[in-house]
Amino acid sequence: MQTDEKPAKQGIRADRAMALVLAVFSLAFALAVGMLALDQQRVLDANSHLQGETVPKVISTQRLARNLEQLRQEGERIFANNSPAARQQSMFVVTLIASHPSILDNAPAARLAGEAEAFLGEVVRLAAQDQQALRQRYEVWKALSGRLGNQVDDMSTRGVDLISNDLVVANLAMETARYKLMAVLILLGLFVIVVMLLVRRHLIAPLQRSVSALSSLDAGEALPALGPSRLIEIQAIEEAVRELHEQISQNEAVRQELEKLANKDGLTGLTNRRHFMLTAEIELQRAQRYRRPVTVGMADLDYFKKLNDTYGHAAGDAVLKAFAGMVSEALRQSDLVCRYGGEEFAFLFPEIAPSEAIALAERLRRRCADADVTLPDGRKVRVTASLGLADASECPIEIALKHADEALYEAKRQGRNRVVVAGIPVTAGASA
Amino acid sequence: MTFLPRLASCFSLLVGLLLCPVPTGAAAGDPVLRVAVLDNSPPMAFIDAQGQRNGFSVSLMRALCEEMRVTCQFSSTTLERVVEVVAAGQVDVAAVNLLDTPERRARVLFSRPVFRSRSIWLAPVALGPESAGITVAVVQGSAQAAYAQTQSWRIVPVKANGELTKALLAGDAQAALAPMPTVLGMLQQPGFERLGLVPRVLPVAELGGNVGFAVSPERPAVKVQIDAALDRVKRDGRYDRINSEFLPFRID
Repeated sequence: MQTDEKPAKQGIRADRAMALVLAVFSLAFALAVGMLALDQQRVLDANSHLQGETVPKVISTQRLARNLEQLRQEGERIFANNSPAARQQSMFVVTLIASHPSILDNAPAARLAGEAEAFLGEVVRLAAQDQQALRQRYEVWKALSGRLGNQVDDMSTRGVDLISNDLVVANLAMETARYKLMAVLILLGLFVIVVMLLVRRHLIAPLQRSVSALSSLDAGEALPALGPSRLIEIQAIEEAVRELHEQISQNEAVRQELEKLANKDGLTGLTNRRHFMLTAEIELQRAQRYRRPVTVGMADLDYFKKLNDTYGHAAGDAVLKAFAGMVSEALRQSDLVCRYGGEEFAFLFPEIAPSEAIALAERLRRRCADADVTLPDGRKVRVTASLGLADASECPIEIALKHADEALYEAKRQGRNRVVVAGIPVTAGASA
Repeated sequence: MTFLPRLASCFSLLVGLLLCPVPTGAAAGDPVLRVAVLDNSPPMAFIDAQGQRNGFSVSLMRALCEEMRVTCQFSSTTLERVVEVVAAGQVDVAAVNLLDTPERRARVLFSRPVFRSRSIWLAPVALGPESAGITVAVVQGSAQAAYAQTQSWRIVPVKANGELTKALLAGDAQAALAPMPTVLGMLQQPGFERLGLVPRVLPVAELGGNVGFAVSPERPAVKVQIDAALDRVKRDGRYDRINSEFLPFRID
């Protein structure tokens, strides 16, 4: 048992191909976006760190620096004041600053403040006994004061450094994010280009080829090259185009065969009357347009009814077929001939006038008169034909044929087996 | 409701917001925050020569109220009663510098640290905390008073920080134990320098650490607001300006 199942197509389905491309891109895009999100988080973390930890630390450092500076200034006051009470008051503040938690939390500051407190305490004590002690110890204090000043500067710088460090981290993350963003955009652009190329190569171009093939589809021309495509859907379209082309070719062959059958006489194989009239009309118009000679003729088998009655219709058919063969042999290839009806035949002789067509008609008449026709039962008969010719160079085909028919009638009237030209009184031919 | 009326409502709201004056501080009609402060605790809280409340804590509290868009309604209290008043919800906040101790935290909410402090032993050079039979002035209700109870000192209780110097000048006490800012205030008191007192930090854990404002346990939202406001005030420079106005060095 045969089935019409077609073999499974080898290829990729378009939707699956697109889904695959989209999946790959989506994965890459999601990865890139995820990396961008991480960088963004790094920026947020750096900012959060800056706000939550660094800024308070910087403020705290600034306050510590302020206290160290205050301690230094109180020390200067101790050396500048002549009043023991004022010196005692400054020393009081120095002690409180040096013991404040903000100083004690910072080891270098605590060491320096402790050193200054001890030094200034000794100076205040010595100055209470001898004012000269202030002058004697001032150089030492200048060095200590300088170190305090440097410490203050260092702390101010450290505060800026702390902020700078966070900003560097944030900037680095932002810069990385910018490069990644550019990479994502390039990736996006590449994807669009790749998709466009794939769509063009595997969808648009094959479709254009199919459309072009469809628009120029002709039974007489070979099908343009299609495929092979990787996409099953395109393969199906191309296969359909091929099948359509094949179908059109078959239909054209059938149509031509049918046309041929429609234009031929079924018995004799000659052109039938309808087709003859169409082609003769065209030929006649052409001849008249270029003022070329053209002649039409009518022929009729003599005593055909009697032959039919005597030998039967099969014999009549055999005679008609034999006469058609003689026509083909006797006339030129360019001459048109048809079975006009029954035993009557019509002719059109291009490029010759009746005076020249007589020779052709005579050749046919003689050929017919000289030939034995073998009937289906084996017997042989001989038949003759009468022919009438008429000039068709200046009148419509119907009129010209009418003239030829009248000439044929005249040939019959004159005894048959002869050729008569319309309008010419002299007749040619002989009796059968 | 269709889309257009909604859009019109949103537009009207936006226009209204744009046309509204931007509040720049506490104003009449703002919510009222009941704040307890000390009267005689210079330089942190005191009544100045014009009869106005002044001091580091008072100014800081005003800044916080402005930041919170509320009106501060001050009332007086004492260090001895402040925790009780706040715990009872008679006030919302006490702008009193309280050492953050477990005992106090059990009764009231504490703001974020306003500053850090240590306790100063203020006495003549020859007298130390270990001196037997020494008379020590402390403020009633203070952490220093609680610590003094545990020592073999003769305690001279006073009601306010501002009275410590008087006790010393009057000879009622030989020494005083007070927070560092209070000692700075005492330094400005007339006659203080004649006492010849020397400051010495007491290295006792419960006498130092974070100092904060007490918030009523009934108003936890106020604590959150105060914490946020304090953070902003400490960052934008207002805190330091107030610090400079009342104290010779940074206490945070």
